[in-house]
Amino acid sequence: MAEMTPIKVLFAALGGEGGGVLSSWIHAATVASGHFVQGTFIPGVAQRTGATTYYLEVVPGAGDRHRARGTRPVLALNAAPGEVDLVVASELLEAARAIQAGFVTPDRTLLIASSARVFTIDEKAVMGDGRLDQARMLEAAHRFSRRAVVADFAAAAAAAKAPINSVLLGAIAATGVLPVPADAFRAAIRSEGKAVEANLRGFEAGSAIALGSDPKATTHATAERQPGGLPPSLRLDAFPAEAHALIASGFARLADYQDEAYAQSYLARLARFTARPGVDASFMRELARHLAVRMSVEDVIRVAQLKLRDTRLARVARETRAGVHDIVDVTEYMKPGPEEVLGLLPPWLGRWAIARVSARGWESKSWPLKIKTTRLSGFLRLKMLAGLKRWRPRTHKFAQEGAWIARWLDLIERTLAVDPGAAREVVATAALVRGYADTYKRGLSNWSKIVDGVIEPALQGRLARLHFADAVLQARLAATKDPEGETLAQTIAAIRETLAPGRMAAE
Amino acid sequence: MAEVSFHKEIESLRLGDGDTFYGEGILAVTKALLQSGVAYVGGYQGAPVSHLLDVLVQSESLLADLGIHLETCTNEAAAAAMLGASISYPLRGAVTWKSIVGTNVAADALSNLASPGVMGGALIIVGEDYGEGASVIQERTHAFAAKSSLWLIDPRPDVPTLVHAVEKGFELSEASNTPVILELRIRACHMFGSFPAKDNRAAPHSTRNRIAPARFLYDRLSHPPATFRHEADKAERRLPAAQRFIADNKLNEQLGPDGGDIGIIVQGGLFNVLNGRLTLAGLSDAEGAVQIPTLVLNVVHPLVPDEITAFCAGKKAVLVVEEGAPDFIEQGIGQILRRADLQTRLHGKDLLPMAGEYTPLVVGKGLAAFLGRHGRAAAPLDRWIADVAATRAEVDKTLDAPLPPRPPTFCTGCPERPVFSAMKLLRQEMGPVHVAADIGCHSFATFAPFSQGNTILGYGMSLASAAAVSGTVEKRTVSVMGDGGFWHNGLITGVAGAVFNKDDSVLVVMNNGYSSATGQQDILSTKEAQDGRGKSLDIEAVLKSLGVPWIRHVRTYGVAGVVATLREAMRSSVKGLKVIIADGECQLARQRRIRPEMERKAAAGERVVRTRFWVDPEVCTGDHSCIRLSGCPSLTIKPSEDPLRPDPIAHVNNDCVGCGMCGEVAHAAQLCPSFAQIDVIRNPTGWDRLRRRMSAALMRLLGAPRDTARAPAPSLAPAE
Repeated sequence: MAEMTPIKVLFAALGGEGGGVLSSWIHAATVASGHFVQGTFIPGVAQRTGATTYYLEVVPGAGDRHRARGTRPVLALNAAPGEVDLVVASELLEAARAIQAGFVTPDRTLLIASSARVFTIDEKAVMGDGRLDQARMLEAAHRFSRRAVVADFAAAAAAAKAPINSVLLGAIAATGVLPVPADAFRAAIRSEGKAVEANLRGFEAGSAIALGSDPKATTHATAERQPGGLPPSLRLDAFPAEAHALIASGFARLADYQDEAYAQSYLARLARFTARPGVDASFMRELARHLAVRMSVEDVIRVAQLKLRDTRLARVARETRAGVHDIVDVTEYMKPGPEEVLGLLPPWLGRWAIARVSARGWESKSWPLKIKTTRLSGFLRLKMLAGLKRWRPRTHKFAQEGAWIARWLDLIERTLAVDPGAAREVVATAALVRGYADTYKRGLSNWSKIVDGVIEPALQGRLARLHFADAVLQARLAATKDPEGETLAQTIAAIRETLAPGRMAAE
Repeated sequence: MAEVSFHKEIESLRLGDGDTFYGEGILAVTKALLQSGVAYVGGYQGAPVSHLLDVLVQSESLLADLGIHLETCTNEAAAAAMLGASISYPLRGAVTWKSIVGTNVAADALSNLASPGVMGGALIIVGEDYGEGASVIQERTHAFAAKSSLWLIDPRPDVPTLVHAVEKGFELSEASNTPVILELRIRACHMFGSFPAKDNRAAPHSTRNRIAPARFLYDRLSHPPATFRHEADKAERRLPAAQRFIADNKLNEQLGPDGGDIGIIVQGGLFNVLNGRLTLAGLSDAEGAVQIPTLVLNVVHPLVPDEITAFCAGKKAVLVVEEGAPDFIEQGIGQILRRADLQTRLHGKDLLPMAGEYTPLVVGKGLAAFLGRHGRAAAPLDRWIADVAATRAEVDKTLDAPLPPRPPTFCTGCPERPVFSAMKLLRQEMGPVHVAADIGCHSFATFAPFSQGNTILGYGMSLASAAAVSGTVEKRTVSVMGDGGFWHNGLITGVAGAVFNKDDSVLVVMNNGYSSATGQQDILSTKEAQDGRGKSLDIEAVLKSLGVPWIRHVRTYGVAGVVATLREAMRSSVKGLKVIIADGECQLARQRRIRPEMERKAAAGERVVRTRFWVDPEVCTGDHSCIRLSGCPSLTIKPSEDPLRPDPIAHVNNDCVGCGMCGEVAHAAQLCPSFAQIDVIRNPTGWDRLRRRMSAALMRLLGAPRDTARAPAPSLAPAE
């Protein structure tokens, strides 16, 4: 009964991507081509952007045969692992999910998958980088399918100004896995009657991708290049060659942030570590990276400076797809708090003022501003703020940041003497201190907890050297995963359990 | 108006003899109702059966032609009570809802309906929300059928079979004077297929030809002493009548060869899953030509003992394939076999799991165990099970990390999201607060990043579920309820109860204008419009008339205002119920309305302002605290372009509808200065252009680079 074998098709998609319409196009085209088809889906609340699936079975040539005999195929409503001929996924994680469920197998499955990611909330919410490893998902896509057509279908859809479902339909048609001529799919789009032109454009774009020999896999490597505008006198010979590009970037950033003298002080701070045992190129790169970021903390002056960047409006217009004749208006949402504003005062005055403010419980007071930088008044206000740049080295905020950096560098230096591996982890803790206002304060407080609860005790020899690096790493990850919450407290408590009571020699 | 427009489907409801109907299972059932001569239809929306009512609501002229009375009921209890029309009149009627939850709500009326029984055929079409894609507690409707003596049809998922089940369901109901439940699983409701259509039939009595009021007959009341007679009548007359009808009409199908030493008894709804595994085992094919005797129970309650004994007699063993717990069918069959003194070995939940959906893999494993136990092991089936496990292990090794779930969430621009951002901010300020969650889109707030809610006790039940908590827990409790839940149940069960008992707690009513989660059906407070059923009823006026002492309105997108109002409610010296009505129209409905209008205007050369938000990639430090307070699908992350800061940065994609929530959160939480509102003016007026040129000139004079000064614009109101 080989002629009776159904072709089984599974779509993995996100609610709202038009999977239902895609199914109905396939229905219409397969019925029109004389086949028997049955499909179903499980929308439920998943239609609200959750993961969902659509499933279809097509019995080739069975339409007429069954009408004549009065019988009907008994088709499944659920995909069975190992028994799917075509899996279409509009997003890479959903493709991986289908592969993990066993629906993609090397003996029979053609996989059409978008390499584009729509990140889940778990990935997005992490402070830092919580993204899944794309390379592994791509590897699984190629390894477990009979053939994989993997490309950025979301980008193709955007380029064709078409919905993604039509692009996927085009790819399905071009692979020939369904016994349906391309024109039958085009006719189905036309007879559906909605946004016909856009859908046909998408269909052709998708066909082109599937017919193209080389599936393009997207990678998001950050290109490292020597930044422009560096002084010709800049000498980096003292640093490992692999770190030069990053250090040069840091130098350029700080020269822009303040001035060249300040950037030179960055090099001086780095130079302190060049000859230390355990400091190799990768150590220096990480140190250079974190130090540059920490030395260019986003105070209100910096924010104003960034918002007046001359390339900014063109970027906004491009990213918001504004037309050439459209007018683009930008309203900044800014809300400096007392610490940020009073941080502009000299240290003695700033300290006093901030103490007064917290004594009165006004820390959470702030000034909500909506500043139109595309209009004169807004532009002027930011211009004035940015103009405070020369005053910056005399501010309370600057002094505070300088003290933090000195302490951090000191901790790194002391840790290097004990365990270079742990020192790398101490370098990485700098990433916890970032953001603005409460986020910044929480980060700072988490960092201090790690220093007091893990790093200092370890430096005092109360933690086995073997566990030093790992303890700092665990604490940092806990603070990254759950910046507001309990995880860090629990992790530190667990580490504290293992601490030796008083001072003792490091093992 | 509902989320989906059924323009084409309405046409197919008019098909007649000789036509072929193509469509979704639930719409095929709807068509079958029309072919069966129903006089009335009603129900309460809920996936997976919403479309039945949605399509009929949009089919006014068709209903008028056929004289069908349509009622979109306020809840399932009302829908069940509506079937009371069939107690005293020979009227066929059908109602629909999502089960198990809807059946629970309907239970009182169902019992009182089932007791006297019906004269006209009464059909209850339930969407059995079970297994993958389900959104409710996992229980079986079967229990209600069993305890109230309602018959339960669980048809094979095949469109002509569904249609046949509807038609026969009415006949069964009339033949046994018993309401009949037609149970459709999620996938069956959404299954696309075809069937040969028949002409629609107008009922003999209907809105067009009204019937005379019934004369008084005490036995039609579910009131003692009639109830005692009803109980006996169920057992002595209605049950045998139903069993006779089921047997005579061969509603259950015996497939495969006669005889044989083993057999399978399967719920109709699971037959296709079973057939797939039998096919793999070489014991069937894609046309369902099973080679092992199989009894397909399209009617799962009542069982027909003669059918069961005839099927089992002479067999060494049978396997019952029955999804969910408890194993009602298996128990029933066991009793029948015992009573008939048949020694057939009964398998079911010993080889198949008690809980969970019967997917191909689950059924395949149970079937393999059964076949193996009785010497009929099928090598391809066993190999497949081993292969699936091996493949999954390999894949896990390749992926090397668990895949994060992707639960549903609030849509982009949803007016409910900012309320939960505000609640999260307040939680950071006040510490934990007991939150009574409810059913509706707002239950997505139980997922990350909000992770809020201590209980869900049913639709419109949040406030009632907080009653004892509000009297025993340190801080005031916050209950969340949608306007859908408010009208469904919450007004009486929750608000009236809290006022009556002087409960000191806070209720947030999400006033988005529709029953949104079920597909944006109109409710009492929906704005009155030409094409809708809304009545513009004012929730505040209703609350006032109940004597609620403290009521505030908030515009949900103003996060700081929501936080302030919530704080005020938590700290107010006013004792008693405090209600915050959170106003913001369902964004899906709003976009459906305004998007075509904007496109039309832009094409016609009129001035159109498109608002969206943007994250400044240079200012964003990649801490993602905005995401942890928002969870908006369009607020996502993208790779950093800065080699010094390689962590991904926040990014607003082009799905943004410009609701402004992310900017407001950044303000309310004092998060960061990265957010900017972008207004793109298409077809700017001469005045727009003049202002732009003037501002640009002045800004250049003051040292702006050319590009920055390029685009001044007039003051614009952001989108609502």
